[in-house]
Amino acid sequence: MVGIKKVLLLCAICYILCAALTGCGPTYPKKNVKEAVAGICTQEYGVNVKVETYDKTMFIYLPLKGLLDYSFNLTRPASEKINNVIFTAARVALSTDAKFDFYCVIAHDIKMPELQIVIIKNVEDVRRLFASDISRGEYMKRVLIDLRWSPQAKKEQVVKDIFNKMNLDQKWQDQIISDFFRSEPAAISDIGYWNDRFYIKDITLAEFLAEQIANRIKIEFRESKDLKDIFLLKSAKGLYAARKDRRLFRFEIMAERGAIGAGTTIENSDKIFEKALSMAGHVLHGYHFKDYDAVEVFDQREGRSIEVTPEELENFRMKKVKLNEIGK
Amino acid sequence: MIPRKWKMYLKMYWVKFAIVAVVILLVALAVIGLNSLESYYRNITLATMPVNLLMVSLNAIIFVYMYMIFMRGGFSKLSQKLRVHGEFVNIKWSDVIGMENVKAEAMEVVQLIMDRARVKKIGGKILRGILMLGPPGCGKTYLAKAIATESGLPFVSMSGSEFVEIFVGVGAARVRALFKKARELAYGYGGCIVFIDELDAIARKRVFSAFGGTEETNSTQNQLLAEMDGLQELKDKSGEPRPEQNIIIIGATNAPEDMLDRALRRPGRFDRIIYIEKPGLEDREKLFAYYLGKVQYDKLLDVGRLARKAVYKSPADIENIIKEAALVATRNDRDAIRLEDISEAMERIDLGLKRQLTMTPREKETTAYHEAGHAVVLYILHPTNDVFKISIIPRKDTLGVTYSQPKEELYSYTKDKLLADIKVSLAGYVAEKMRFGVTSTGVSGDFKDATRIAHSMVWSLGMSGAEFLGDYTAIPESQISEDLKEKLNQETDKIFQLCLKEVEALLIKEKPILEKLVNDLLAKEELEYDEVEAIFMEFGKARTKSAW
Repeated sequence: MVGIKKVLLLCAICYILCAALTGCGPTYPKKNVKEAVAGICTQEYGVNVKVETYDKTMFIYLPLKGLLDYSFNLTRPASEKINNVIFTAARVALSTDAKFDFYCVIAHDIKMPELQIVIIKNVEDVRRLFASDISRGEYMKRVLIDLRWSPQAKKEQVVKDIFNKMNLDQKWQDQIISDFFRSEPAAISDIGYWNDRFYIKDITLAEFLAEQIANRIKIEFRESKDLKDIFLLKSAKGLYAARKDRRLFRFEIMAERGAIGAGTTIENSDKIFEKALSMAGHVLHGYHFKDYDAVEVFDQREGRSIEVTPEELENFRMKKVKLNEIGK
Repeated sequence: MIPRKWKMYLKMYWVKFAIVAVVILLVALAVIGLNSLESYYRNITLATMPVNLLMVSLNAIIFVYMYMIFMRGGFSKLSQKLRVHGEFVNIKWSDVIGMENVKAEAMEVVQLIMDRARVKKIGGKILRGILMLGPPGCGKTYLAKAIATESGLPFVSMSGSEFVEIFVGVGAARVRALFKKARELAYGYGGCIVFIDELDAIARKRVFSAFGGTEETNSTQNQLLAEMDGLQELKDKSGEPRPEQNIIIIGATNAPEDMLDRALRRPGRFDRIIYIEKPGLEDREKLFAYYLGKVQYDKLLDVGRLARKAVYKSPADIENIIKEAALVATRNDRDAIRLEDISEAMERIDLGLKRQLTMTPREKETTAYHEAGHAVVLYILHPTNDVFKISIIPRKDTLGVTYSQPKEELYSYTKDKLLADIKVSLAGYVAEKMRFGVTSTGVSGDFKDATRIAHSMVWSLGMSGAEFLGDYTAIPESQISEDLKEKLNQETDKIFQLCLKEVEALLIKEKPILEKLVNDLLAKEELEYDEVEAIFMEFGKARTKSAW
C-alpha cells in the first residue's frame, strides 16, 4: 500500500509540475488573431489569406488558382489549400481568448471571382468533434458549404448592364456602385468577398441552425430512398425571423412530385412536413437551442404549411405524438 | 574525485537516484512538449492527464497484482523484502548508567575498532565480533549503541527474529542483505557496526536432521558464519584491506552461552564475550538517581534505600518501577513521587494486581495460617531473606503471599540457605495442619519448590548427610543403579523430613507469634514490613535487619 501511495503521490507531483510550468494562457491573444491566421497560412502552408473578424465570427478570404475543374468539382490542390486554411482557422479559434462562435472561409478562383465557395463552421462543433462528443459524420452535416455566385457580384453585374446601356463612364459607374450599391449582407447567403472587400456580418447560432436544417433537408431528400422516388427537391430554404415578441424558424420547401409512389396531395405534404419537422427537432435538440417560439414548414408546391411549438416539436421528435396531433 | 560517501550513497540508492532522474527528465520533456502545443491542445492534454495517470496507475496495480498472484506466489513473498537502515545513534558512555566493568571492557573494544591500523601493524588480529550475554533489560542494546557512538561508526541493527521466516532461504537472504548494507556503509564511513539482538533466534546449536526440519535456521546461521568469515577476504588491488571489511558484529542474547552454536563462538567470529549482569547496589543507586531525575520526586527519598530494596532488578525493571510509581502518585493526587508510591509500584510489579475474589471465612483463615507459617519460619530461620509483606489478598494465581527479598545479591547459595528455603516452603503446610488437621491445595507450589531444592541438594550438589558426592543428573538415568537411586531418594526424603520436623517444632514453639500474625492478617488482610517487625519485637524475636 505504501508503494501505491508513493506512486500516486509521484503522479500528482508530476502533474502539478507540468500544469504549473506550462500555464493555461491563450496561444493567440485576441489582438493578434488576424496576424496569427495569416502568419500560419503563409509560414506553414504557403497560402496568402486575408482575415477579418466581425464580433464573434472570423472570416478568411482565400484566393486560389484553379478552384474548379471542368466538371465544377473542386480541384485537388484547391481542396488541400482550403482544408489547410480551415484547419488553421480551427487551431486559432480554439486557442484564442477572442471567443469566436463561428469561422467562415471564403475561397474563389482569381480568374472567376464571381463564383465562390463559402464554408461556415461552428467552433463548438469543432471542439465537440475533438472531444469525440459527436461523430465525424454528424460533424460534416453541421458544416455549411455553399458554392454560389457572389451576391454582390450578381447585384453589381445587373447595375453595370444598365449603366452600360446608358453609356456611363466606367469611372462613374464604379463610384455610383460604391456609393449606392454596396451594403453589408443581411443573411448568411449574402456573405462573400468581392472586389477586395469583405461582405460580412456576425453569424448568429439561430440563422446558422436555420441554414443547417435546410441543408440537411436537402441531403435527406437527395439520399433517402423513400423520398427521392416520390419527390424531386427543387429548393429548401431556412430562415430565422425574430420579430417583436415572436421568434420563428421558417422552412420553405419546393419539391416536385415524382412518378413512383406518390400519394395524395395531403399525404405528400405530410411527408414533407414530417421529414422537415423531424430534421428540425433533431438539430435544435442537438444544439440545445431553445430560443424560438415556433417552427413553420411551408410546402410551396401545395401552398400548405404547418406551424408547431417547441413542446410539440420535442414530443414529435420523441415520437410521443403523430403529425396529425400537432401544429396548426 | 567523488568523495567516498557520495559513492556510497550512489551505490546504496542508485535505484532511487535513477527513478528521480528519469522522473525529472520526463517532467522536463512533458513541460517542453506541452509548451510547444497550442493552448487548446495543452489544456486538453492537462485536462485528460489525471484520468490518464489514474488509468495507467490502475493498469499497473492490476498488472502487479496478477503478476504477484500468478507468477510470484502471492504477496506474502513481498514481506521477504528486507529494509535495513543504517542509523547514527547518539548514546555516549556517560548515558550508560552503571555497568562500569562492562563499560571498561567495551571501551577496550572501541579502542580496538578505532585503532585497527595499529593492531594490524603489530600483527594483532582484528576483532570481528562481540557477543553480549546477560539477562533481559540490562542494557545490551544500549551498550552496543554506545560502542557505535564512541567509535563514530554507523550502526545497523536487526533482531534475530527478523531473520526467521517460514520460507527456506529467506533468513539467509536477509543476512546477505544486512551485510551488503553494512559493507556499503563501511565503504562510506570506514567501518560499520552490525548489531543483532536476540541472536539466539539464529545462533542456536544447529541440528543436523535427516528430515530437514531445521534447515531454515541452519541455512540462516550458515550464511551468518560465511559472512563473518568473508569479511576477512576483501582486499583492494594493492593488497590492502578494503574499508568494506571494517565491520564489527555485536550479538546480544539472554540465552545461556552453551545454547549457542560453537562455530559462532570460535575466534574469528565472536571473538570477545562480554557478560552483562544485573546491576549491583551501587549501579542500582545510580539508576534510581537517573530515572528519578526525569520525574518529580520527594527530595527526602533515599536512593540508597531504594537500591537496597530493588535487589535483582534490572535497569529496565527500575525504569518500570519509577514509571509505575509516577502513575501511583498521580492516582493519589500527589505532585511528587514518595517512598510509598515506589513501594506500591514494586509490589504491583512483583506481586501483581489485587484480585476481587469472594473467599469463604474458612479459606481466608487457611490462607492466613499458611502465610503466617511462611513468615514465622522465614523471619526466624532464613539467613538471607527478609519478610517485607504478608498478604491474604488474592493476587495473580495465589490467594495470599509472603513477600520476601534477599538483603543483598547472592551469586551462590549455601546449604543453610537452601535448607531454609525448604523449611519456608514447608511452613505453610505445617501451619495449616497444626490448626485444621488437614491441608489445602495451596501447598502444591510450596511442595514443588521444596522437593526440587531437596532433590538438587542430594542429586547434584552433594549436600546430603551421607557421602553422596557428585552430580548424579549428569549420568544417564539408565546407568544409575536402582539401589543408588533409592538411596539418593531416601536422602532427599530425609532432608525433607528433617526440615519438616524442625518447622513443626519451631511453629509449636512460636505459636503465639503465629496466632498473632493470623489474627492481624484476618483483621487487616495485609501486614507491612514495619508491622511484621513490631509483632516479632513484641515477642522478643527481633533480629538485626538491614536499614532499608
